[in-house]
Amino acid sequence: MDKQRKTPPSWSTKFLAWFLKEDYYEDVQGDLEEEFNQKAQGIGLLRAKRWYTLQILRLFKPDKVKKIEAQNSIEKETTMFKNYFKIGLRNLWKYKSSTVINVIGLSTGIAAFVLIALFVKDELSYDRHHEHAENIYRVTVKNYTTDGDISRQWAFASAGHAKLLKEDYAEITHSTRFYPWAFPDLEYQEQTFRGEPVIFCDPDAFEIFDFKFLAGSEESAFPDIYSLVLTRASAIKIFGNDWEEKNIIGETVSLSRDDNEAPFKVTAVIEDMPDQQHFHFDYLAPIRFVEMIMGEDAANNVGGNYNWMTFIRTNPEADIPKLTEAANDEFWDKYIGNFDSGSAARDFYDFEFQPLLDIHLKSNLEGEYETNGSIEQVYIFSVVGILLLLVACVNYMNIATSHYSRRMKEVGVRKVIGAFKSSLIKQFLSESLLVVIVSLPLAVLLILWALPYLNEFMEKQLSFNPLVQTDIFMGLILLMVLVGGLAGLYPAVFLSKINLVQALKGEQSMNSSKWNFRSFLVTFQYIVTIGLLFAIGVIESQMNFIQNSDPGFDRDYMVTLRLPRGDYSNETFRSELLKNPQIEKAAFSSRIPTGRLADNWGSRFYKGDSAIATSFRLPVVTVDKYFLDTYGIDILAGENFRDGMETDLVQDTMVTGYYIINLEACKALGFEDPAEIVGQKLGYGPSEGRIIGVMDDFHFESLHSPIVPTLFLTRDRYRRISLKIGAEDIRGTLDYIENIFAQFDPESDPNYRFVDDLFNDQYQKEERLGTMIKVFAVIAILIGCLGLIGMVGFIIETKLKEIGVRKVLGASTQNIWMIISNRFLILIAIAFIIGLPVAYWFMSDWLQGFVYRTNISFMLIAMPVVVATLLTLAAIAYQTLKATRVNPVECLKDE
Amino acid sequence: MKEYQLGEFEEIVLLTVAILHEEAYGVSIKEDIEERLKRSVSVSALQTALRRMEKKDYLKSELGEATAIRGGKRKRYFKVTKTGKAALDYAKETRQKLWSAIPDVSYEYVKAWISSGRLPHPGLQNS
Repeated sequence: MDKQRKTPPSWSTKFLAWFLKEDYYEDVQGDLEEEFNQKAQGIGLLRAKRWYTLQILRLFKPDKVKKIEAQNSIEKETTMFKNYFKIGLRNLWKYKSSTVINVIGLSTGIAAFVLIALFVKDELSYDRHHEHAENIYRVTVKNYTTDGDISRQWAFASAGHAKLLKEDYAEITHSTRFYPWAFPDLEYQEQTFRGEPVIFCDPDAFEIFDFKFLAGSEESAFPDIYSLVLTRASAIKIFGNDWEEKNIIGETVSLSRDDNEAPFKVTAVIEDMPDQQHFHFDYLAPIRFVEMIMGEDAANNVGGNYNWMTFIRTNPEADIPKLTEAANDEFWDKYIGNFDSGSAARDFYDFEFQPLLDIHLKSNLEGEYETNGSIEQVYIFSVVGILLLLVACVNYMNIATSHYSRRMKEVGVRKVIGAFKSSLIKQFLSESLLVVIVSLPLAVLLILWALPYLNEFMEKQLSFNPLVQTDIFMGLILLMVLVGGLAGLYPAVFLSKINLVQALKGEQSMNSSKWNFRSFLVTFQYIVTIGLLFAIGVIESQMNFIQNSDPGFDRDYMVTLRLPRGDYSNETFRSELLKNPQIEKAAFSSRIPTGRLADNWGSRFYKGDSAIATSFRLPVVTVDKYFLDTYGIDILAGENFRDGMETDLVQDTMVTGYYIINLEACKALGFEDPAEIVGQKLGYGPSEGRIIGVMDDFHFESLHSPIVPTLFLTRDRYRRISLKIGAEDIRGTLDYIENIFAQFDPESDPNYRFVDDLFNDQYQKEERLGTMIKVFAVIAILIGCLGLIGMVGFIIETKLKEIGVRKVLGASTQNIWMIISNRFLILIAIAFIIGLPVAYWFMSDWLQGFVYRTNISFMLIAMPVVVATLLTLAAIAYQTLKATRVNPVECLKDE
Repeated sequence: MKEYQLGEFEEIVLLTVAILHEEAYGVSIKEDIEERLKRSVSVSALQTALRRMEKKDYLKSELGEATAIRGGKRKRYFKVTKTGKAALDYAKETRQKLWSAIPDVSYEYVKAWISSGRLPHPGLQNS
């Protein structure tokens, strides 16, 4: 025999084995090798090898190549999938109760998740439609106290900032201001529209933002200072629905305010601003018009008077932190330098360029143009949405694995016939997918039903129409596959692992280790339930705390309204109102409690004759002598304002001041006893005088912020009147107020509000968030309960024999109930230990948003556990009763 | 009458399988053809022919013994089936019919130019 057997090149053989049809391979390779060996002896090994490889290459032809796997398997798989779906459908039909639980759970879970996703997507899409959104920044100004603390950050800038910044920094290519100057009356032919919100802006506005022009164009928008750009809505308002046919470009409308009137020409019409934009304007006019009226000085003002919403567009390469630093280094020195007091302006002002895309979700500055959303809200909703979906999936997992005993024989038979593990996994995955497919239409119906409520509640215009919105359609399909996969994966793996012999024998006992993951799932559901219950408790308790908290002023039966426009004395207006006996008290003020404290002048406190600048912000509110009485605020020391105590703050003359401060201010100035501070000398802005009284603290602003030192003075310039009315015939009283108002100002609307409504409005954001979380949390808890009931039912089903034996041996229903409950109580305890700290951490974070907050009481901590335990025990009791009523013979007879 | 499709190479292979009788497997068929007809045969072409004829039911095959020289792989022995025999007969018969249908005239011309020693004019060949 040949000692060294020659072998053909192995990689050629491998290649052959890879491509050649199985039934060819053995004999063909044998033939090749036989001939190769002959040739190796005849023509030499090298040539034999070459021949061998060449022959193999020539064999690589379609008729001998294996069918491509996919081709093969698709045929096989579709047949199998048909079978899986058929069996799946039969099972759904056969076990209706678990199908119903699963479908309800999944469809509610999906619906809630989609609703939340729609909301979150909408919140995240604000301002993104502008082509240059990434390079647009809002100019905001920070003010500092003498101590260097930020006192306020304004969403607005001063009039001169836009122009000067653009001139000084090459990175800034465009800048515009939006200025809501004194809403004028608008006249067109015979029609008059009162107080239209005309916004004045720079021509760069059209370069910075993308406004869609329906008529006219960017270039022709502002040919001169008497130009007016309308939106679709305002065009319809003025020219009617058929404005497009009327050729309104060039039409003249007149704007008038007080006695001034100017003719404006309509130059363009733009599309209404989309909902997902943080500002909405109906009219745009050139800001040069305002500048002309105000004069050069006001138009170039660089400090204070933050009324000009200012945007810049930079070139894409601009380094914003660097730009900010440069601007803060140079700008204030260059244009202001030092104040009269000698301190440098740069220590008191800072620019911050705020990215446009951050405004809606992350900005909450002084004077935001519209109420913004909040990123916390988006986070909280996202977490809740994902939890909901997970709970629904876990539910499915629990129920599907619970019912494994029903499927064991089937799995056994499939395995015997030759099903691979992978095909069993495919089978159970396709079953979960089937359940999701059944749930999806239901979920869509639920969404369609709930969306209008959500929209109304959140003041949104979310739309859901998967037939038209392809992204939503694709999203739903993706969600379907994801949920089907997620929910089905564990049951699939679990069921495919079933031991063949056990399965066919019909043994019910499961290896105890297999319980672990399921216990984990149940614990997860308990964690979510306990966490959400805790969150609901905390929100509810904080809301109650606010509702019942005493803000320190009387807010019941209190009506407030703007003062009428026109020439009249405040005293006449007041006495007219007080003629109605139902109006008990009336007081004028610049601002009212529940509002914001913003007006602020520099203040100086005198120790002897030397003035010390105060280191804290001391905002001022102008009130009349009836204010404290009307709002029920006590004077702790000193006296109230009397006639002749007017302190008229005007920039350039120093006047004598009479001040009342609140207790907080008294403490801040270093006096514990209010009586001692009365009579002390104080300087405030362009005034100097004595503190005449100290009033008790009250919450002028919302409970989000602490009570701050506040100064009150009197001066015959007010904006609002507050009326304390009687409890009887409120409607009549309100009508009376409207009548009187109409006598003074027939053209405006009094727009009266109840102070307690205003008070509650301050917490609207939290109310909404709280309500939404409550709704979704309740849904999550209900889904969890459904799962629990299904789960307990199954456990009892598998323990029927055990229960039977126990009963025969004399166990009572309670005993059995206890035994089954035990396991769940342990899981609840574990969930409590894990879930509560997490929820506590989340919720205490949320509570940080309030300065005055409820305590997290023992009740709040105990409540979730008690509720979870009671729900569990109830579910178990129900199922146990059902089980123990069966005669033990029934379940013991068949062995 | 049934139609029998048989290509030229297929016919050779089928005949060789018949010749080799019980000993017809890949290598022996290939060697036999190469020896008798002095033409090289690729394994690929041979396999195509064999399998196609097996599908047409002219051949049947079964796996036989394995030997060390074949790397432990079994041989696939081919046998001619009844249909295969019929196909061969049919092929032979049709050829025979054609052969016998050739008139003698065709040969006259050939004889003539061979004996005259002249090369035939290409244009005249078919006349």
